[in-house]
Amino acid sequence: METQFQSPHAVMLRYGLLSILAFIVVFPLVWLALASLRPQNEIFQPVSEFGWSTFIPSRFTLDNYRSLLNGDFPLAVKNSTFVALTTVLFGVIVNALAGFAFAVFDFRGKNLVFLLVIVSFMMPFEAIVLPLYVMIRAFGWANSYQALIVPEIANGMVIFLFRQFFASIPRDFYEAARVDGASWLYIFTRIAMPLSWPTIATSGLMLFLAQWDSFFWPVVAASDSNYAVVQVAIARNINFEQNDWGGLFASTNLAILLGTIPFLLIQRFYVRTLISGGIK
Amino acid sequence: MISSRWTPFLFLAPALAGLLIFRLTPILVAIGGSLSGVSLMGDLRYVGLENFEYLASDPEFWSSLRITLFFNMLINPIQLAVAFGLALLVFRPLPGLWFYRTLLVLPMAVSTGISAVLFGLFLDGNLGPMNGFLEWIGIGAQPFHRSQGQALYTLVGIATWKGAGYWMLFLLAGLYSIPSTVYEAATIDGASAWQRFRYVTLPLMRKPMAFVLVADTAINFLFFAPVYILTSGGPSGSTSVLMFQAYRAAFTFSDIGRSLAISTVLLGIILLIVVIEFRLMRSPEEAK
Repeated sequence: METQFQSPHAVMLRYGLLSILAFIVVFPLVWLALASLRPQNEIFQPVSEFGWSTFIPSRFTLDNYRSLLNGDFPLAVKNSTFVALTTVLFGVIVNALAGFAFAVFDFRGKNLVFLLVIVSFMMPFEAIVLPLYVMIRAFGWANSYQALIVPEIANGMVIFLFRQFFASIPRDFYEAARVDGASWLYIFTRIAMPLSWPTIATSGLMLFLAQWDSFFWPVVAASDSNYAVVQVAIARNINFEQNDWGGLFASTNLAILLGTIPFLLIQRFYVRTLISGGIK
Repeated sequence: MISSRWTPFLFLAPALAGLLIFRLTPILVAIGGSLSGVSLMGDLRYVGLENFEYLASDPEFWSSLRITLFFNMLINPIQLAVAFGLALLVFRPLPGLWFYRTLLVLPMAVSTGISAVLFGLFLDGNLGPMNGFLEWIGIGAQPFHRSQGQALYTLVGIATWKGAGYWMLFLLAGLYSIPSTVYEAATIDGASAWQRFRYVTLPLMRKPMAFVLVADTAINFLFFAPVYILTSGGPSGSTSVLMFQAYRAAFTFSDIGRSLAISTVLLGIILLIVVIEFRLMRSPEEAK
C-alpha cells in the first residue's frame, strides 16, 4: 500500500539498484555454470579476448562432468550426502525431543539448561574445532564418519526453533491427550511431531546447510581422502597444479547446485522461521 | 503439569549429552590443553603459562592478532552497511520483489569454502573473466588474492558476497517490526523521507543492527576457510588470521599446546562477544 506514494523515479531507482546487486550476486554463479559446460580445450582461451566468447562456450558439452566420474568426486558426494542426511535424521529427532521438553515440562534447572542451549548456538562452532579435534582423536574417531556426524547432531538453534513451535501449541491440548491416557512419547510422536512439519523442514535444511557449509571441521577431523566431503575434495583440487580445470569447474558447480536447490525449494519457510526464531 | 520426575530428562538426555560433550567440554579442553606441552616422547605434560608466554613474545602472533582485528574492523561495518542497504531496498512492496529477494539470499546456500573456490576461479587471470573485463574497461588486470596489498580486501569482498544476504534477513525483520503508525505520524508532522529515515528508522533499528554487528563479529573472528583455500595466510603473512595460526600450530608444527593457547585466546574473545550479544537480546527497552 506504500507503493502508491512512491514517485516513479524512486521506483525506477529501486529496480535499477536491485538489478545491479542481484547481478553481482548471481553473475559469478552463472559464469561458473556456463564455463563448466565448455570443451576442455577452451577453458583458457576466452580470457585473452574479452567479449561474448568469455561467457558463452562455442559449443556446450558435458565432458567435464563425465570426467568427474573417474576421479575422487563421486566418493566425496557420497560422503557429503551420507554425512548431511544422517545428521538431519538424528538431528531432527534429538533436538525436537529436547525442544519438546523445554516447551512442555517444568523441571528443576530448566533455566540453567536452557542457558547452555542459547550459549551453544551463539558461540560459532569454529571456536572449538581444535580442542574438539584433540578429544575426537582421543576417542579414536579421527578420520571416520562418526567424527563428522556425531558432534553436529545436538544443535542449540534447532532445539530453540522446536521449543518455540511446541510452546505455541496450547498446553491444554497436551493435557487433554494425557487425560485420555496417552504417554508423553505417544503425544510427542503422534501429536506434536506431525503438527510441526514446517519446523521439521526448516530445521532439516538448517542442519543440512550447517553440514554443507562446514569446512574447517572436516579439514581437521577427516582429512583422509576416504572421508573427504565435497568442499574438502574441491578445495584440495584448486591448490594443486592440475590439467583438469574443466573437472574443477564442473565439481564446483555441482557443489553449488547441491546446496542451492534444497534451499530454493523450501526457502520460504526457512527464511520465515529463521527470522522469527532468531530475533525473539 | 503431571509427569514423572524423570520424563523431562529422558527427552532432554540425547541433546544435552551432545551439547555437554561436543560444545562445553572442548572449552575446558582448550584451557587445559593450553597449559600443556607435548614432550619429545609425545605425551602431554603441564607447563603452566609457557604457551602464553611464548605467544606474547612471538611477533608472528602479534602480527596475526593485528591482522585479525583489522580484518574485523573492516568487514563487520561493511557487511552491516551492505546488509542494511539491501534490507531497505527490499523492504517496501514492489512488483517482482520476491524474485530479487531470492537472488540476494542465494549465497546463503553456497558454502564458504565453495565461495572461496568460485572466486578463486572467477578472479584468476587465466581462468576467470574478471581481469579480462578490467582490462577491457581500461583499469588493467589486478592480482587480487595473490598480492600482499589486495589479498585481505579480496577476502572481505568474498565474505561480503556470501554473508550480506543472510544478515539482511535479520535487519528486514527489524524493519517489519517498526509499526507503520510511527511513519504515518511522522509524515503528518511534515517529516521528509530523509527525516523519517534519520529520526524514525535509524533509532528504532539500533537493536537489530547491534545484534547483526555482534553476531557477525563472532563469526568473522573465526574466519578460516577462504584463507586456507586461497591464500594459506599469505602473501607474506598478510592474511594470516588467528584461526589460521591456530591451525598451523597444530598441523604444521604439531604443537597442540600452542594451538590450544591461540584457541583459548579466541574463545575468550568469542565468549566476551556472546555476553555482549546476551545483553543486547535481554534488554529490548534499554536500546530505545
